[in-house]
Amino acid sequence: MQFNYDNFIDSLTLMGVGIATVFAVLLLIIFLGNLLISFVNKYVPEEAPKQNAPAAPASSAVDPNVAMAINLAISKLTGGKSKAEKIEKI
Amino acid sequence: MEELLNILGKIYDMTAIGSFVENPSSLIMIALGFFLLYLGIKKEYEPLLLIPIAFGVLIANFPGGGMGVYATDGDGFVHYMKDGVEVAKNVYEMSLPEIAHDLGIMNLIYYALIKSGLLPPIIFMGVGALTDFGPMLRNLKLAVFGAGAQFGIFAVLLIASQFFTMQEAGSLAIIGGADGPTAIFTTLKLAPHMLGPIAIAAYSYMALVPVIVPLVVKLTCSEKELKINMKEQDKKFPSKQEFKNMRVLKIIFPIAVTTIVAIIVPDAVSLVGMLMFGNLIKEVGENTSRLFNAASNGIMNAATIFLGLSVGATMTVDAFLNWSTIGIVAGGFCAFGFSIFGGILLVKIMNLFSKKKINPLVGATGLSAVPMASRVANNIALKYDSRNHVLNYCMSSNVAGVIGSAVAAGILISFLG
Repeated sequence: MQFNYDNFIDSLTLMGVGIATVFAVLLLIIFLGNLLISFVNKYVPEEAPKQNAPAAPASSAVDPNVAMAINLAISKLTGGKSKAEKIEKI
Repeated sequence: MEELLNILGKIYDMTAIGSFVENPSSLIMIALGFFLLYLGIKKEYEPLLLIPIAFGVLIANFPGGGMGVYATDGDGFVHYMKDGVEVAKNVYEMSLPEIAHDLGIMNLIYYALIKSGLLPPIIFMGVGALTDFGPMLRNLKLAVFGAGAQFGIFAVLLIASQFFTMQEAGSLAIIGGADGPTAIFTTLKLAPHMLGPIAIAAYSYMALVPVIVPLVVKLTCSEKELKINMKEQDKKFPSKQEFKNMRVLKIIFPIAVTTIVAIIVPDAVSLVGMLMFGNLIKEVGENTSRLFNAASNGIMNAATIFLGLSVGATMTVDAFLNWSTIGIVAGGFCAFGFSIFGGILLVKIMNLFSKKKINPLVGATGLSAVPMASRVANNIALKYDSRNHVLNYCMSSNVAGVIGSAVAAGILISFLG
């Protein structure tokens, strides 16, 4: 078998160009990744939590005016020491 | 009596027995098909691909079945028998129904889906949908070993160029990238007549990662190096980087990488672009969940079946039983081994200059066989120190290796195609 000088030179060149390019691309990706991390940390640090739609009042809920009146009554009776935490229709 | 012999003769002609007697070499390929099926089913070597490939080998080599893929000559002509006459036609000028009618359905699948270069990028899309770039982003510096481990590709190119044409040598060398679809894609572009043996070699060596990685590591690394505990190194030299919104980062990352690769190596875009698209539809989440499901399940699975069967069907007697197959098997092994060594060597060089030491196993996993290489490396590390979990660190170089091998393929196609 004869030594193929042309192929040797071509593949040696390709080796140099190839390895250099693969390194260049991955180093660029590392650089870009670091830039993206800084960018995201600065401008999009946390996702805004989705605003939940206000819950529809339950059918058993008590009218706020009634609740306020009940709380006022309890406050007057106990001298402001107690208040109603939960009011339910029975 | 004569009539009985006549009937028996017709039955003999109907079966494939006569063809086996005339051309017994096809029996070797059938035996190879059985062996590959055994490896895929019993030994569980990459069963998802090896079983379709093996079955493709089997059905392509039964004489008279018409399931073998016809190879084209240098000018794109296929030579086949039609009504007892040898016909030569340029396959690129034949319509798909004509290919199906004259050459059989396996050739239709091969020329429409494989030779056109469609399926490897489709599979890459599925791979992207199944890949998590999180570990790579958390240990971004380690991604450089994904470049070191492409050394085997170019080292074997140098050697193989003495025995093969440059295009054939490039196709053989890409086995060192340890990525099946990349190897198939590159071979289709550079040396399609070598597709069968190269696909088999690439997938076989990927299946042999649990054997090849420990072998190269044992030959090139000391016990002290393998005991380097990455977590302890992180505690000694803590990173200043923090991640305030990983989800957004993971969404922007594939878009940015595609842009960079497209500018520097346009020939790698079909692989890297599809990989990153698959990853993007995964990371976007609920809004693209239907696309993600299609890419990672339905499309990926269908593509794998067609790819495996038709690549197997290219392995006919003429295409496989020759000296170049032996060269591919030997060269592929060297490419694989050199790639692992290239990654390890880069770690060793960096350890000479850095206070923060890196376990050489992180370099060994720079080739792209994801995630098997990382799992194997983790097991090796645990063998030397039961507290030394290197999986996450290895995944960084491992995932970077997928990008690295696709870029290397793009360079080979660009220069040799």
